[in-house]
Amino acid sequence: MLIELKDVNKTYNNGQPLHVLKGINLGIDKGEFVSIMGASGSGKSTLLNILGILDNYDMGEYYIDGRLIKGLTERQAADYRNHMIGFIFQSFNLIGFKTAVENVELPLFYQGVPRAKRHQMAMEYLERLGLADWAKHYPNEMSGGQKQRVAIARALITQPKIILADEPTGALDSKTSEEVMQLLAKLNREEGVTIIVVTHESGVANCTDKIIHIKDGVIGEIEDNREHRASVFGTSTIMK
Amino acid sequence: MRDLFTEIWESLRRNKLRTALTGFAVAWGIFMLIVLLGAGNGIMNTTESNMSGINANTMRVYGNSTSKPYGGFKQGRYIELDERDMARTASPAFADHVDDISAVLSQSGFKMTYGKRYFDISLSGVYPEYGQMNRVEVLAGRFINKNDLKARRKVIVITHMQARNFLGGKENYESLVGQRVKIGNLSFQIAGIRRAAENENDSEIFTPYTTLRDIFAKSDNIDMLAFTFHGLETEEENEAFEKDYKRSLNTLHGAAPDDERAIWINNSFRMSMQMNKGHHMLEVFLWIVGLFTLLSGIVGVSNIMLITVKERTHEFGIRKAIGANPWGIMKLIIAESVSITAVFGYIGMVLGMLACGLLNATVGSNPLELFGESIQVMKDPSVGLDVALEATLLLVVAGTIAGLIPARKAAKVKPIEALRAE
Repeated sequence: MLIELKDVNKTYNNGQPLHVLKGINLGIDKGEFVSIMGASGSGKSTLLNILGILDNYDMGEYYIDGRLIKGLTERQAADYRNHMIGFIFQSFNLIGFKTAVENVELPLFYQGVPRAKRHQMAMEYLERLGLADWAKHYPNEMSGGQKQRVAIARALITQPKIILADEPTGALDSKTSEEVMQLLAKLNREEGVTIIVVTHESGVANCTDKIIHIKDGVIGEIEDNREHRASVFGTSTIMK
Repeated sequence: MRDLFTEIWESLRRNKLRTALTGFAVAWGIFMLIVLLGAGNGIMNTTESNMSGINANTMRVYGNSTSKPYGGFKQGRYIELDERDMARTASPAFADHVDDISAVLSQSGFKMTYGKRYFDISLSGVYPEYGQMNRVEVLAGRFINKNDLKARRKVIVITHMQARNFLGGKENYESLVGQRVKIGNLSFQIAGIRRAAENENDSEIFTPYTTLRDIFAKSDNIDMLAFTFHGLETEEENEAFEKDYKRSLNTLHGAAPDDERAIWINNSFRMSMQMNKGHHMLEVFLWIVGLFTLLSGIVGVSNIMLITVKERTHEFGIRKAIGANPWGIMKLIIAESVSITAVFGYIGMVLGMLACGLLNATVGSNPLELFGESIQVMKDPSVGLDVALEATLLLVVAGTIAGLIPARKAAKVKPIEALRAE
């Protein structure tokens, strides 16, 4: 198991205590292409934040590759995020005053990779994603699909153990969404990258091989979707 | 390092006006600090150069009036020093501290004639040691010596201004040495030419004490007694010595031993000690004023950095998500803050030094005409390299402090909250 969660609980204490995750048990293998699906308020964002070591949890255990992720200092958390996790966000989260290639380089900068080396690597990744000509452009000069591909390149460049995609198509039109999902599928298929997509769109979830339904802070049904024939509305969710 | 500077440059370039305004406050602060210190140094240099005519360890003793009745005399009696005081000063009682002694006798109303030129002059009869005590700089010939004193030779030491006049404006002072001038009806030989003090109307002509005494004064009263001393290092030691000394001299003149005012002592060591104290206070005061001016600049930088941090929260969230640790974020802010303060501070410092140069060229080199006297207000107003280095160090420290609070704020924000910002 690459990822293992054992009875993970999380409560927010902003005034009224809010028990968001009520004992999550989950295992994800290396090379899987998984989606976590749930309505808003189901706890899927919280789960994603915990998976991405952006937030901590109260009870239970979370292992990445056998390593317990708990009670980390800011420094350690930053280090683990840098080496083990690649993020893809709904709103791309590129730094506006940096060019595409500079954005892609950034994770390597925080690893202390020398300038020339990281530039070369960033160019390679941009080329693989068909963006070599756009390397010197700033994010506001690019289309949504291009920006998301830059973000994917940035997520891939450290060769992380997991790619976490948070509503990766949320800000894209349907055609571009399709392209991005195919790109992720291709990366998973051809390079064996472990990808976890968090979404509330069944169409997006249907692109993945396994759909994990989360509802009210607990894991519901886990659908095998290698046939990619999940019902349009999912089997146990209400219509989106 | 280059990456860090690239980041800072990008950030500053995005906020040109803001950077310029903040930078101006810092530059202004350090500019004021440098100008204040430079002007302060100028004033101190002036007072110091006015004092430079006197050896640091010299006491000048004068007779004064008694402040209390004693031995049948009323108070207010004038004490005149005489050769007994000189002998007492040289006695073993004070040998532990007293070095060279000179009696000084002054008499005015003489006319000195050389060829067709003449001066109204005053003569000062002194001992050979007086030259050293007063740091008399002899330009040609020599000062009064022991043989002059012993043989009561009619020799004089004139100032270079007088010599120049005798020579019709030329400066070949050597040619005057050995020449004879007339003072009253007597012929005197010029033994040496000395440099006149710069700031004062210094026209004192020196002659051996014995010569002046025996030819003109014809008594053994003396106007002043000057001596150098050693081994009195503190204010208290000086005070104790002066008290002792006065007591001893008072008894010679029938004044009350504890009369503090019968004898008046001008102690150059204590004066320079007090002057140093005054200088130190002035300097501290100027530093404080300057630092407070600078402080407002630093607060400005801190303020701007806080705004920057707020604006860039989302960006910092992204950086954290992809692996920036807290120090990586703090470094950005602190380095930016230090850069602003250092660069603009340096500009302010250079401008401050230029202003000091300007001050030197105007006020510094043109004596002020005040009440008919020319007074030099400032001499060489400038700050040394040490102050420049201190100021540079100060800027770096100040920049760090200014950046510290905003940087901590930036580093503390949780990545999820930061990503949610905007």
